[in-house]
Amino acid sequence: MIHNNHEFYIASDGQLSKRAGDSFRVSRKDIKETLEYISEYSLYAFEEEIKQGFITIQGGHRIGIAGKVVADPKGIRSMKFISFVNVRLSHQILGCANKVLPYLLDQGKVLHTLLISAPRCGKTTLLRDIIRQLSNGSNLCPGVTVGVVDERSEIGACYQGVPQNDLGIRTDVLDCCPKALGMMMLIRTMSPQVIAVDEIGSWQELEAIEYAMNCGCRLIATVHGTSMDDIRQKPVLKKMVQDRWFERYVILNSQGGPGNVGQIYDSRGARLDRPGREAYDG
Amino acid sequence: MTVSFFLKAAGCGMVVAGTSGYGSWMAASYRQRLGMLVELRQMIFLLKGQIIYANAPLPEAFEAVGQRMEGVLPEFFLQVARRLDGQQGKTFCEIWKEEVAGISPEAPLAQTDRQSLAALGEHLGYLDRDMQERNLLLYLEQLDLAISGLRDRQEEKCRLYTSLGVMGGLFLAVLVL
Repeated sequence: MIHNNHEFYIASDGQLSKRAGDSFRVSRKDIKETLEYISEYSLYAFEEEIKQGFITIQGGHRIGIAGKVVADPKGIRSMKFISFVNVRLSHQILGCANKVLPYLLDQGKVLHTLLISAPRCGKTTLLRDIIRQLSNGSNLCPGVTVGVVDERSEIGACYQGVPQNDLGIRTDVLDCCPKALGMMMLIRTMSPQVIAVDEIGSWQELEAIEYAMNCGCRLIATVHGTSMDDIRQKPVLKKMVQDRWFERYVILNSQGGPGNVGQIYDSRGARLDRPGREAYDG
Repeated sequence: MTVSFFLKAAGCGMVVAGTSGYGSWMAASYRQRLGMLVELRQMIFLLKGQIIYANAPLPEAFEAVGQRMEGVLPEFFLQVARRLDGQQGKTFCEIWKEEVAGISPEAPLAQTDRQSLAALGEHLGYLDRDMQERNLLLYLEQLDLAISGLRDRQEEKCRLYTSLGVMGGLFLAVLVL
């Protein structure tokens, strides 16, 4: 178990321990029972998610799973003998976007923003709070309508269509919807001023983002990465950086705990949080 | 003599009324069983819709179907949903069978109906959505057979129960007199 960036073992009595010898040994029956609970006795309802290697449960917590993959020529069909489970607890931190939000606005107008971070550095948590603050409005800008495409139910943690996390009063959520399709749907049906999506990366999503930007929507997205150079090396994302689709890049790191903002750049690569330093060739 | 005759006649009348009432009750039970199986079929159709169309997990599917109606079976579905939500360390099959066994004995379901309903729980939740659909279709087929069999014999059986009730009462009355 990892807590506050420290690793612990869970002992048989449920307590945390630093000694490997104290740890509780998980049996195959325990894993099976855990899977029954996380899937609500209904693995069939999570077929598509299992193909991607995770299940999102009530509360937006993501359970990563691994085992023997059943594949056919079309791709991954299912997974059996699931023997590895990784539980990631989702949580909202109200106000965690306070420091970064002024950089994402220009005279009250929301700028196209890409949040970049490695896994477990808090990009979804930061995105959630940005959505909430933009939606509710603040002294920096009036409230705007926000459309969220929550493909993995992590941002809003919707339960039966109702977000369990606070996403603001002007936010519409498309839950469990593929991002590319969801962005198109939101533009056509909910007329959002801002669209927010988590973990972009495919060509279809790139096309949908371009469409959304051309429709006048402001876009806030997250992506896995560690630096601007890292993003520029990814085939899909390279085009966005080169063509300067995004006006702000926020890079997170886990120094001093998850959610720590490392650098903020503008579309040309000029560092904004420390002006005049660490510009890159955008 | 007269008093004795009247008492006997009154007794016979009560016997005839009692047996006729029992016959009518049997006929009504038959019709109620048929009605309950038809209701169960409708609920299984709704459950299939929830699972296949809405891709709902079992607790949500049972709750959604149970809330649409009122009666013994909807309450049974709601109770299953509550227990699944409770995650009490039991498998779905165990919970399902316990709840089937807990359906009131007063409910007009025959033992065979209860057994086939209990058997449905052995395969629900197993593998993919196609498998759920096949399981439910198989059970619906069994239900259709049971319902059509009951419908075919409904008129004959109800008449038989009613007539036997009256005739049995009359036969006893003749014996007493």
